[in-house]
Amino acid sequence: MSVITTQDRAVAINPTRSCAPIGAMLANYGIHGAITINHGSQGCATYPRHQMARHFREPVEVATSSLTEKTTVYGGKSNLLAALKNIWERYHPTMIMVCSTCLSETIGDDIPGIIDEFLEQHPEVTIPILPVKTPSYIGNHTTGFDNFLKEIANNLPDRRKKKGETNGKINMIPGWVNPGDICELKHILREMGLHGLWITDYSETLDGGYYEPRPHFARGGTTVEELRSSSKSLATIALQRYIGGEAARIYERRYGVPAHVLTMPIGLANTDAFVDTLVEITDHVIPEALQVERARLLDALVDTHMFTTGLRVALYGDPDLLEGLVGLVAEMGMTPAYVLTAADTMPWAEHMVELTEELGVESEIILKGDLHELHKRIKAHPVDLLIGHSKGKFIADAEGIPLLRVGFPVEDRFGYHRRSIVGYNGSTALVDEITNLIFERRASSIVSNTLVERGVEGPSYVPISLPNGNGKGI
Amino acid sequence: MKFTCNQNLPERAIHIALKGPDGGCQRGDGSGCFIASNVPTTPGDMTERGCTYAGCRGVVGGPVKDAIQLTHGPIGCAFFSWGYRPHLADSDFHIKYTFVSDMNETNIVFGGEKKLLQCIIEASREFPDARAVFIYNTCSTALIGDDGRDVAKQAEELIGKPVVFFECEGFRGVSQSMGHHVGNETIFRQLVGSVEPEGDFSRSINIIGDYNIKNDLRTFEYLFEAVGLKILTRFTGNVSVDELKIMHKAPLNVVHCQRSATYIADMMRDKYGTPYINVTLWGIKNMSQALRDTAAFFGLEAQAEEVIERELARIQPGLDYYRQRLQGKTVFIYQGGPRVWHWIELLRELGMETMTAATTFGHDDDYQKIFRQLKEGALVVDNPNGPEIEEILRERRPDLFISGNKEKYVAYKMGVPFVNGHTYDTGPYAGFVGMVNFARDIDKALHAPIWKTLRSRARPAPVAHHTSHGFEEVE
Repeated sequence: MSVITTQDRAVAINPTRSCAPIGAMLANYGIHGAITINHGSQGCATYPRHQMARHFREPVEVATSSLTEKTTVYGGKSNLLAALKNIWERYHPTMIMVCSTCLSETIGDDIPGIIDEFLEQHPEVTIPILPVKTPSYIGNHTTGFDNFLKEIANNLPDRRKKKGETNGKINMIPGWVNPGDICELKHILREMGLHGLWITDYSETLDGGYYEPRPHFARGGTTVEELRSSSKSLATIALQRYIGGEAARIYERRYGVPAHVLTMPIGLANTDAFVDTLVEITDHVIPEALQVERARLLDALVDTHMFTTGLRVALYGDPDLLEGLVGLVAEMGMTPAYVLTAADTMPWAEHMVELTEELGVESEIILKGDLHELHKRIKAHPVDLLIGHSKGKFIADAEGIPLLRVGFPVEDRFGYHRRSIVGYNGSTALVDEITNLIFERRASSIVSNTLVERGVEGPSYVPISLPNGNGKGI
Repeated sequence: MKFTCNQNLPERAIHIALKGPDGGCQRGDGSGCFIASNVPTTPGDMTERGCTYAGCRGVVGGPVKDAIQLTHGPIGCAFFSWGYRPHLADSDFHIKYTFVSDMNETNIVFGGEKKLLQCIIEASREFPDARAVFIYNTCSTALIGDDGRDVAKQAEELIGKPVVFFECEGFRGVSQSMGHHVGNETIFRQLVGSVEPEGDFSRSINIIGDYNIKNDLRTFEYLFEAVGLKILTRFTGNVSVDELKIMHKAPLNVVHCQRSATYIADMMRDKYGTPYINVTLWGIKNMSQALRDTAAFFGLEAQAEEVIERELARIQPGLDYYRQRLQGKTVFIYQGGPRVWHWIELLRELGMETMTAATTFGHDDDYQKIFRQLKEGALVVDNPNGPEIEEILRERRPDLFISGNKEKYVAYKMGVPFVNGHTYDTGPYAGFVGMVNFARDIDKALHAPIWKTLRSRARPAPVAHHTSHGFEEVE
């Protein structure tokens, strides 16, 4: 049976998570022409910018109110007013999002009040200016993303809606995914003959092309007008429970748009659930193209199962991503031995215990965990594969275990932000990549198409209860 | 030059200046005063500046290879400063591991001192081989009034090794420059001179202000050794805690980065009477001068000349090759501070001219040196912001832009060749051999065939309005 453990150490050593503002900044990048002002120290804008530039390999701009010692004593109001004015006059953005920091929250700046004062002083400014609370000491990077989505849901949609009035679209809240994932989800909706309203869509703003001349704002992103009409959509689908799930429920409560909160569509069953929900909402039939993609995923699972069945895997990252990945890992016959997150979400952990039991696998679900803890677990009881973001490379290097890079940040490889891990296509790509990682490490260099044990080939371990298991691996 | 993007930002004018025909500074507001620097950033101007924590944790303290790098604060500060700066050493503990007291809301309300103490004890128990614990304070823990100094003192007794507390909270100062100062001052106060080793240090020097970015040390450490000198302590690239403790034994400090590390040289001069010399370890003329000046202090002039002659002969073919390929190109350098004036001469040695120079956190003395070296008509910008950088790239069309990772993708989106001066593309760039690496990277950047492809084949963005389900043509 799966167990839940909570890491019990005050010091975090090699954390898997970062802090709230970067989540809000990322989500805001999915709105065409929107600009972020980070109300705090300069580092709170510069560090996340640098991190995002390393992941997306794109220019990333975030303004800061540049708080200093003096403003810390007297309050940051004058700095934020100046920042709002300067951003408005120089950029003429379509929207401004102001996210807070430890500093501005601790000194107690009233950001909504300051924004109101700015709008009073500048009646010519008619764009939305949205405050989002993102102190780093509450939650983690996903909290910032989720808070941003809640603010959007609460403040932007048009409240005037005639009975039965609809824009014919589906509000899609993908959560913290990559540009490539959004493209794949768009593909699924297009094939289904549906129109999505993406909350939000950074598939092109953070994976843009080269144009001459360079456009004033990066191409792409959902427009503010579209977001205004999101109260008139047919339904809302949130593909991550903890990032956007609550926003979907706000749409239901406030605007009567039915909410569907699903597991991230990684793997066959999770993608089926997503596609079935689209069918349920719209009565559209599943098109031929998606049926073919689905069959191809099944085929890939069959082709690879002899290489993956019984492998032990350690996964780390954000709860929603892990939940989706565990589905695929189990479908590939692998055991998600360690599932580690930095979050402290007991309901999620309990749900994961149920899920792993349904899937017939045994896991240790680790809450409040860090990578040092995971490393110690792996040293004591090795695994065959690591799945998570780039920071796991130190464990992978030390233990000689392959690392499948997913999530954020992937800063030591190129183009991972363009890949997709969702839908039938994204899952098939993951199945291929996982199998290739195993091949690279263990395949014979002479005979193609088969695996050969090389020396003491490490930690492969099949529980004795498996019919073909000898406890020593495949 | 009048920046169009600054129409509504008159306060930026005093940070922008041209080198006049008389060699003086012509400031953008029309006054003859010198360019304004090291003052608070205009809020919302899209500055590239970082914070004091970044300067202390990322630049000065971070490279120390056997210290536990513990951030006292929330998770983000530690996550973002972890493992991205290639300040290499002969071991990698300092790059692979980051530690953080992970302040949550309850800690912020009730104080984080107890948790910090526990963190120090746990961290040193997990890594008993570490020789010290470096604690970096952040905005939130400073604001709630945690007495980190006191905790550090208690912890030092409990774990029996130095616990160094850096008061580098992000809101202090106007840029990361303040963090360098805090880093110098704290290491000097808490570590330097805490051990009195036996031995002969008469032929030793300290290299101050080199952070061993992509192994820069490998390009010049052997040169000093060939002259007959031993580098006792490197402040702080590839340095151990024990080496920092004994750095006061060296008879001479050789100061390379004169923005981030002159502080400790000054403090050592005042307390121990250690003299220091300022050097530049990049470029032929400067590196040679550095060896000559250092050798002269020890009466080793002849050895220095021998080393210089041998090394220059070694790199001459490479330099000749690249110089004819780079001749006449114009450069826009935008670095943190001193690298701008360190490199103007180096680029000239490669046949290139710096027409625009900018720094993130340079002080008056940095700009003095920049103005002295530039040609008439060159533009200087203090703490440039996003729109200004784009306008420079668009209007002044430099052949090459040398800056950091954040600016790289802006340059690329505008089709401007770029070399990463902060963390190097394929370094090291220091010393004599590093200069050939530098020239090779510049050559690669300038002459890559992609620029020709862009010029001949790039197209404008499609005239379309993006909607969430695709593209719709608009009028």
